[in-house]
Amino acid sequence: MDLTAVLLKAVAARPRVLVTTLPGATPVRLAAERHLRSRDLPRAVTPADADVLLVAGTHDPGLEAALERLWQDMPAPRFRAHAASAGDVAAAIETACSHLADPSEQRAHERGGRSLPGEDQGGHDAPDHASPEGRAGDHSGQGGGGMAMPAGLPMAAQGPDRDGLMLDQLHVALGPLLADWPEGLILRLTLQGDVIQRAELSLPAPRRPPSAVPFWTEPWARAAAGEQVHAAEAARRRAAGHLDSMGRFLAVAGWQAAATTARRLRDELLGGAGAASVRPAAERFARQVGRSRTLSWLTRGLGRLSSADAVAAGIRGPAARADGDVPARYRLWLTAALEDLDRLEDRRLLDPAREEPPRGRLGGPPSPSTGLAGALPRLLEGAELGAARLIVASLDPDPDEWVAQPVESAHG
Amino acid sequence: MVDAAPWWAVVTAPVLLAAFALCAIGYDAVLAAREAARPIRMTTPARPLLEVPRLLVSQPRRLPAPDALLWRTGVITVPVAAVLSTAVIPFGHVVVADLPVGVVWFNAMEVLTWAGLWMAGWGPNAVFSLVGGYRYVAQGLAYELPLMFALMTPAIRAQSLRVGDIAAAQSQVWFAVWMPVAFVVYLAGVLAFSFLGPFSYPVGQDIAGGLLGEASGVDRLLLSAGRWLLLAAGSAMAVPLFLGGGAGPVLPAWTWSAIKTLAVLALLVWVRRRLPVIRADRYVELAWVVLIPLTVLQALVPALVVLGGGR
Repeated sequence: MDLTAVLLKAVAARPRVLVTTLPGATPVRLAAERHLRSRDLPRAVTPADADVLLVAGTHDPGLEAALERLWQDMPAPRFRAHAASAGDVAAAIETACSHLADPSEQRAHERGGRSLPGEDQGGHDAPDHASPEGRAGDHSGQGGGGMAMPAGLPMAAQGPDRDGLMLDQLHVALGPLLADWPEGLILRLTLQGDVIQRAELSLPAPRRPPSAVPFWTEPWARAAAGEQVHAAEAARRRAAGHLDSMGRFLAVAGWQAAATTARRLRDELLGGAGAASVRPAAERFARQVGRSRTLSWLTRGLGRLSSADAVAAGIRGPAARADGDVPARYRLWLTAALEDLDRLEDRRLLDPAREEPPRGRLGGPPSPSTGLAGALPRLLEGAELGAARLIVASLDPDPDEWVAQPVESAHG
Repeated sequence: MVDAAPWWAVVTAPVLLAAFALCAIGYDAVLAAREAARPIRMTTPARPLLEVPRLLVSQPRRLPAPDALLWRTGVITVPVAAVLSTAVIPFGHVVVADLPVGVVWFNAMEVLTWAGLWMAGWGPNAVFSLVGGYRYVAQGLAYELPLMFALMTPAIRAQSLRVGDIAAAQSQVWFAVWMPVAFVVYLAGVLAFSFLGPFSYPVGQDIAGGLLGEASGVDRLLLSAGRWLLLAAGSAMAVPLFLGGGAGPVLPAWTWSAIKTLAVLALLVWVRRRLPVIRADRYVELAWVVLIPLTVLQALVPALVVLGGGR
């Protein structure tokens, strides 16, 4: 057995998996996160660190180019796996591991499978999964005259900043695919130094034909369609939804341990665990995170959104009720999740008009998540790059709601 | 107290440092498994080591217009600085190089990582990598001055920059006991220069991995190994500076050094998982407004004791 084969076996024993969720595929993402956690397969944050690209969800033409870039940016040995439904995840990972361990296949990848990123696409960009357009290299208004530029990349243009200085402008796109990011959302930022001068938003369009009902609002949609749904089921889904948002927010805030706990509690809830078994751990978690002075010190004052502004932007859920900055929003998630844990035995029927899904009451277009995303540009302008991801994660719009048909029109 | 090094110490020191780093990685993996509610098996602590073959076999990435020379130099600097810093750290009674300015040497090696990580961030010619690089410098601006005062405090009391003398000066009471501020600031500094845990801002997930975002293969291996080696070196240095060096009852000196180093490592690894990432812009404020005055006051205490003729 040659050395490469031995090394590839080691890769296949613990590959890093870049989970890329297409909008509408939340159940697949949840299954993938659960599977990877239980098998101790770490998630990759960038393509540079990934061995397996796991595409969760059904084909999405709008993200095909972005996916291809991710794949191009991954070093060999690598494998691209696909899981269309939650049940496919384990098999997809299994297949990926066996392909990674195959020396002849991986050599073929290394020889011809890869083109130099940028060579064929004209411009290098942010390391993450950048968008097909708006790369770091694509500066609007090129400077530098006739000078030969390194690798043909244009120089940055200048513009006045908030202090009246002339500073270089850098154009960075966040999205559409990033780890712990609402998939499909693209924010095109104009940076000067670390400060966001301008943010432009673009969202994926609703699919034709529309994709399934968003996972987090499913009990409400069923109740609206006339089915008998217990309030307990809605409470369970909402608590899990808030914990999912917490997990993403904590991962972005760099608190991996707490993020893991949030996701573990979420999966226990979705797996049908009783209140008695989840409650103690959930309370400990809420205390640890909700009372963490460090976390609130780090996020205080970021993304301040008053109730009035939120309602005007079309936000109807906890983000509007929180009436404040990032800590106000994550604390509200925590209290709401704990309140829902008390109602896991509630046998009454769900009244969709009285109870709201995790991101706010459903009701004709625009969806609550469209409202959340719409508030972003104003919140981001003037913020620092480091704060941008925290603000987005504290609102946590749900991509499923963008691509799904709004509930009301679906059901008359 | 401290003997000149036999020739084999030059080889042993890096091996020992790597062994401590491996212990830290293993403990970290056990903590991670507990959080994720995975069963803890014999293999759990060793699983992260699969990263080594994984990164060795990984194909190097080619990026448009990278500054390859700076990038490579920076990447190599980080683990090399960690190994070189151990030259002055006594293990039991043995030290590789018993320099009269040992504390300064250690500090210099640690500052070398500034240059290394800045170059490693600049080299790939990519936005978030560069952001990671300047985040490290910004973080350095915050942690470095308090750390230097914290390093100075035991040296002032021992009236020597020789690490062996500092360890020997603690025959009565450990410096950690009557210089608690310096000790805590030093430990925070160790996490900061190894950019782990609350100080992993330069490799933050919010900037897609930052410094590590573009690194794959051997580059990534060297940077990641460098982090843990720096953590191990910093923990080992805490022992002679604050915890009485190899002094201890019954057991030979080298076992005490090992036990104390592992205890400090365990504490730091535990802390690393307990806190979110601290943003440098907020930490600078804390460091300059609170920590610097505190550490200056802390350094004043042994200075007055020494001036007052206390031995």
